[in-house]
Amino acid sequence: MLHTKAKFRAIDAVLLLLCLAAGAYIYYRIQYGLEYKGSWAAIPQFLLRYDPETGRWAANYLLQGLITTLKLSLWATLPALLVGLFVALCRTSETLFLRMVGASYVELVRNLPPLVLIFIFYFFVIDQIMPLLGVETFIRALPTGAQGVITFLFAEKSLFVQFISGIITLAFFEGAYMAEIIRGGIESIERGQHEAAYALGLSWVDEMRFVVMPQVIKRVLPALANEFINTIKYSSIASIVSIQELTFMGRQVVVATRYIFETWITVAVLYMALTLSLSLVTEQLEKRLQASD
Amino acid sequence: MSEIHEDYIIEIENVSKTFTGGVEAVRGFSAKIRRQEVVVIMGPSGSGKSTLLRCINGLETAESGAIVVDGIRLDGDKRRRLEIRKEVGMVFQSFNLFPHLTVLENVNLAQRRVRKKNKASATERSLELLQMVGIADKANSYPAQLSGGQQQRVAIARALALAPKVMLFDEPTSALDPEMINEVLDVMKKLARSGMTMVVVTHEMGFAREVSDWVIFMDDGQIVETGAPESIFARPQEERTRRFLNQIL
Ligand SMILES: Nc1ncnc2c1ncn2[C@@H]1O[C@H](COP(=O)(O)OP(=O)(O)OP(=O)(O)O)[C@@H](O)[C@H]1O
Ligand SMILES: [Mg+2]
Repeated sequence: MLHTKAKFRAIDAVLLLLCLAAGAYIYYRIQYGLEYKGSWAAIPQFLLRYDPETGRWAANYLLQGLITTLKLSLWATLPALLVGLFVALCRTSETLFLRMVGASYVELVRNLPPLVLIFIFYFFVIDQIMPLLGVETFIRALPTGAQGVITFLFAEKSLFVQFISGIITLAFFEGAYMAEIIRGGIESIERGQHEAAYALGLSWVDEMRFVVMPQVIKRVLPALANEFINTIKYSSIASIVSIQELTFMGRQVVVATRYIFETWITVAVLYMALTLSLSLVTEQLEKRLQASD
Repeated sequence: MSEIHEDYIIEIENVSKTFTGGVEAVRGFSAKIRRQEVVVIMGPSGSGKSTLLRCINGLETAESGAIVVDGIRLDGDKRRRLEIRKEVGMVFQSFNLFPHLTVLENVNLAQRRVRKKNKASATERSLELLQMVGIADKANSYPAQLSGGQQQRVAIARALALAPKVMLFDEPTSALDPEMINEVLDVMKKLARSGMTMVVVTHEMGFAREVSDWVIFMDDGQIVETGAPESIFARPQEERTRRFLNQIL
């Protein structure tokens, strides 16, 4: 690839001015053209709130939502990775049946709108899988101390079943994308590596564990980290099933205040703060891994 | 092949291999190799040398004919196939070292996982082998830090780690810079003199002359001519052999 350095030319200046003008015009329309009275001053209280009882500042709706988004995405990523690994192994297996199972799952997830999928799957999980796992009884039976931990790690008692269902749904969904990334990694391992492992008498499990997967992980780690960013973005659809993550909280704030623009712009900035900083981490990771080759 | 010939360690009888797509890579090949023999296989590109070699350890499955290694018949049975994989070491043209493992770990891996040795005794043997191939000082390096010749010597040590009864070499020096060829050939010669049974695909005439017991000349998936190296190089009987030898000299 040719690396030419970007130069600032007259045309760039013109385009930049045009963009600024367009932005100013949109702002003007919102301010004076719309029947809309907003206020930025009302937003900070939805991020942080002073609690007179304890005399401390506490996260309010939007910040709580951000934390829930992060928790939801983190917890969904772990099972998604396991599902992804398993399905990737299925899809690269010699057994036709396993390949077909893996392919069906991936195609199903990738060819349905996530929203439709979450409606179908979420209610199936809530209705069938949660009682089967006995989550509800489990959480009720917990001592108070343990419930505090559960609240910290997941969600409050009353929202716990929903939250877990959300995790499972998101993991089901993300698993397909993780599977494709891992499969790509497995298939990128040179044939000679498999042949050497075969000639040394290694079993399939050992070959995967000691020869293939360590190399795969190194190759796909940046892509997986990137997929985690996607998980954060996709997790916003969980708002539709009343999981109190950032987008859901945004809607609540809008309902309460009617400050549509201010609220959603704040929500967008919060998402960006999370995803952009993770992007930076991913980039660093990629550089680090490349350097170690 | 009703009775097992004790003195033959490899028996190949009428083996054929056709790839999907219709290429007949090996056609009715038969050969018997005695213990401690060194056999060199030569022939033009595409004549089926690699395919034949890979059939011997089951990397390719011959669709007809029989292959018996040290009395074990290579067939669909997985356990017998595993026995053969453990008894037959293989060295590839492109080394195929595991890049994420150090030299020592490369040589240790199969001992640990296949022979279930503990780390200390695996390492002890690995260091001996690395000593033998002359790179004990690189034990903790990664393959990418080694020259091609050094990598190939590690690959030889790795293949020897399971104490195989037979070693297969598929053009072990043809990916190497000329100045590194000899360091690899020297290791192979040492191995040959130590009594290892070896089947070597190579066009190195010097090596063939010096250590091989006989040479198989292959073309079109078949044996064209076999003989002791002195006679086959000096007085090839077949026109195809003569033409090929003229080309590589
Ligand atoms: N996996 C494969 N699928 C299809 N055809 C193959 C495959 N491997 C080898 N062949 C074909 O089989 C024939 C024999 O190949 P083989 O690699 O055994 O030859 P070779 O004598 O080792 O040649 P070279 O000196 O180039 O290594 C060739 O025509 C080759 O194209
Ligand atoms: Mg070949």
